[in-house]
Amino acid sequence: MRVFTDSRIEKAERELLAADKPRISVGLATCGISVGGDRVFEEFKRLIEEKGYDVSLKKTGCIGFCKEEPLVNVKLPGKAILVLHRVTPEDVPEILQKVESGDDSFNKVLFQIDVWDHKTVPPISYGQPYEGIKRWQEIDFFKYQEKLVLRNAGIIDPESIEEYLAVGGYRALAKALNMSPEEVIEEVKISGLRGRGGAGFPTGLKWEFTRKEKSDKKYVICNADEGDPGAYMNRNEMESDPHSLIEGMIIGAYAVGADEGIIYVRAEYPLAVERLQRAVEEAREWGFLGKNILGSDFSFDIKIVKGAGAFVCGEETALIASIEGRIGRPRPRPPFPAQRGLWGKPTNINNVETWMNIPLIILKGGEWFKQFGSESNSGTKVFSLVGKVNNVGLVEVELGTPLSRIVFDIGKGAPGGKKIKAVQTGGPSGGCIPEWLFDTPVDYVNLAKLGSIMGSGGIVVMDEDTCMVDTARYFLDFTVDESCGKCVPCREGLKRMLDILDDITKGRGKKEDISLLKELASTVKVTSLCGLGQTAPNPVITTLKYFEDEYIEHVVRKRCPAKVCVELIEYEIDEEACTGCGMCARRCPVSAITGEIGKSFSIDKDKCIKCGTCLDVCKFNAVKKVSRGLEDG
Amino acid sequence: MGRRVKVTIDGKVFSAEEGESLLAVALRNGIDIPHLCYEECLEPYGSCRLCIVEVVEGFKKGITTSCTLGCVDGLKVLTNTPEIEKHRKVLFELYLAQAPNSEKLKKLAEKFGVYSTRFKEKNLKNDPLNGKCVMCGLCVRVCNDVLGVGAINFIGRGYRATVNVPYFEESDVCKGCKACVEVCPVDAIDYSDVGDKRVMISWSNTKVDLIKCSVCGRYFSPLPVFGSVSKKLSEYGVVCDVCPDCRKRLIAKNMTSSGGYNSYA
Repeated sequence: MRVFTDSRIEKAERELLAADKPRISVGLATCGISVGGDRVFEEFKRLIEEKGYDVSLKKTGCIGFCKEEPLVNVKLPGKAILVLHRVTPEDVPEILQKVESGDDSFNKVLFQIDVWDHKTVPPISYGQPYEGIKRWQEIDFFKYQEKLVLRNAGIIDPESIEEYLAVGGYRALAKALNMSPEEVIEEVKISGLRGRGGAGFPTGLKWEFTRKEKSDKKYVICNADEGDPGAYMNRNEMESDPHSLIEGMIIGAYAVGADEGIIYVRAEYPLAVERLQRAVEEAREWGFLGKNILGSDFSFDIKIVKGAGAFVCGEETALIASIEGRIGRPRPRPPFPAQRGLWGKPTNINNVETWMNIPLIILKGGEWFKQFGSESNSGTKVFSLVGKVNNVGLVEVELGTPLSRIVFDIGKGAPGGKKIKAVQTGGPSGGCIPEWLFDTPVDYVNLAKLGSIMGSGGIVVMDEDTCMVDTARYFLDFTVDESCGKCVPCREGLKRMLDILDDITKGRGKKEDISLLKELASTVKVTSLCGLGQTAPNPVITTLKYFEDEYIEHVVRKRCPAKVCVELIEYEIDEEACTGCGMCARRCPVSAITGEIGKSFSIDKDKCIKCGTCLDVCKFNAVKKVSRGLEDG
Repeated sequence: MGRRVKVTIDGKVFSAEEGESLLAVALRNGIDIPHLCYEECLEPYGSCRLCIVEVVEGFKKGITTSCTLGCVDGLKVLTNTPEIEKHRKVLFELYLAQAPNSEKLKKLAEKFGVYSTRFKEKNLKNDPLNGKCVMCGLCVRVCNDVLGVGAINFIGRGYRATVNVPYFEESDVCKGCKACVEVCPVDAIDYSDVGDKRVMISWSNTKVDLIKCSVCGRYFSPLPVFGSVSKKLSEYGVVCDVCPDCRKRLIAKNMTSSGGYNSYA
């Protein structure tokens, strides 16, 4: 096809390979920007202009190692890509000088990329590897990962359709247009791809439902209303590789017979919105969107709609209501959106990550895709690994990977050598999985067995200093706030559950509270209208299942074993350890600490507001946090 | 008429129209299933959750709301399993704490064996709906979906959600038709006719002019309602500015004097 021989693509390919001049690209997804990546980029730009360096400066997305941001890729002609970490604007002059002089002894090198498999083209050799520097796949963080969805993230410039095309972009679309819609759907069915939004419904089947509906008008929607606390997979995917999403949607639209697509993305993701907007316009200019795409008789275009920040609008019927300008409240299904969706027309809704898998499935085939993952859980899943874990970041692993691999091998356990207690998967709709079940393979089936869900892919790691009752309370506080208020179990029931948890964490819990909590949780789960209410009790149910002893400690002994619940803890000064320096007394905001310099100090428990400042400032570990509870004191 | 199908409720077989709400079939046949948000003139909404039944044979087995359950041939449900009673009891308790002042709600709960709640009564100081509203949404849906007026809607989210006029300011679109009052299952909405004005007390005292009966002089209909109704009816030559009582009298008079009825019909 003529479009794929455009000279601009060849130029982009040369730029990617730094064939003519060195290339520097700064990781500028929101994660990189938040730790100063934008300032690093500006400094590069300023100096390159000022000194007239012959270097091409690019933006790139996030390669996933968020802990090490800002990341900068430095590529000298003929050589591998060097990834520098924790780069500051102060590092920039030296980096540029070395690039200019061809000196490759950079500081802060984290790893190198000599060969990268974008999957859509044969693996690209980026250049000669350096000696003595670890390849990316030799780093523990990447060793166990399989990058299908994040195939281009952190390598190409997300603001350049030419670079996407240079690594095999839009070839899947060209291939799909030469297939019949039924053949496209069949390929997706063979792949076994399941919806990545959380529920895991087979994507091919969903497409077929919409395909079979007879209507003059159909829609496809991308659900990018990611809202779980601690989850940011979709944000990074859109910011790092927006064209993969768009290509997936065009193929889907062709398959189900839609001529209009909508990306529903939350307004809190301004950079994703900006990059998507730009990508849509580029795709339109290149003829991948609009009338008669690539000379076929298929026409399709995409519009971006910004969500106003309601978590419940991630539920598909509420999402549709929101696009139509109505209150974001779910309605009962059936009718499913495939039958009656946006403006009453058949509509196919998929999550960002689902769409991004599509080009690969079409280009390489469903059978190829099935080699990744486990039985009836094919492919990979991107997780945002956050919380009390050393290697915070975006991790893409094959489905069926055990939790221990993600938390310990990739995440490298908890900081400070603390013991890991549990993880929460699936955000506020998921459940807590205790450490002794970490050999569980992470897939739709096995997580459900444990009372959790895959959800959109958040993994929050909790260590021994985490109180499980408080954790349940935290997630419930979120869902209570985000409940739309339509049906009574979710609206009133969740609030009552939160009240009980509040009582328990404040030492006002009664024994019968635990059974009432269980009863409420069961009713809310069974009788709620939509997925939000049906899953919101999960954190409570699973913590009660695996950590009931902690609840009992709170209720019976008025003790918080993890020493988190403020009302149940006290601060004390160990006379033996206290050197009498008086630092704690000086810093105490309520003058609760008294004593004699050189001797020892003590805390007046009636005055103490338990802010913890004394504990933070004591250099001799003399201040102790205790939760004695009833029996001891 | 759609296809006729057979559905089984608690072991008894009933005839139904394919796709119609199972709750409608049950109520029609004297099977009492509690409900607050169901109303025949509106699409099933599924918010009150009280009409849960257990599907033992059908599209998807398990507990679901009967109002939103479409009848298909061979559908079998149970309305009173221990599981349903357990959940329904909790739901009623939640309602009793949410709307502690509604007598109608208390009666409904008692009918299904729930006499008290384990939950603290919600703090409903200065509630325009008198601590009676159960958020079934019938008033909102009648006002918006049936009448197309849109004077009231949901405000806020979650347990803070309530129903009222925008910004709790007197509405300039409310027609004072009282459809919201009529449809409310718990008598939560207050209004009062004072002189030539109807005051929708719960809707921030929205005032609507009333029109006088041209015969007896009594105020009987809100002016905005009269306006739209009389426009339609005048095309048929019907005189509208007469109150229902006087109209009855006039019709009777006409029938006796002329031996038939042809005016004020």
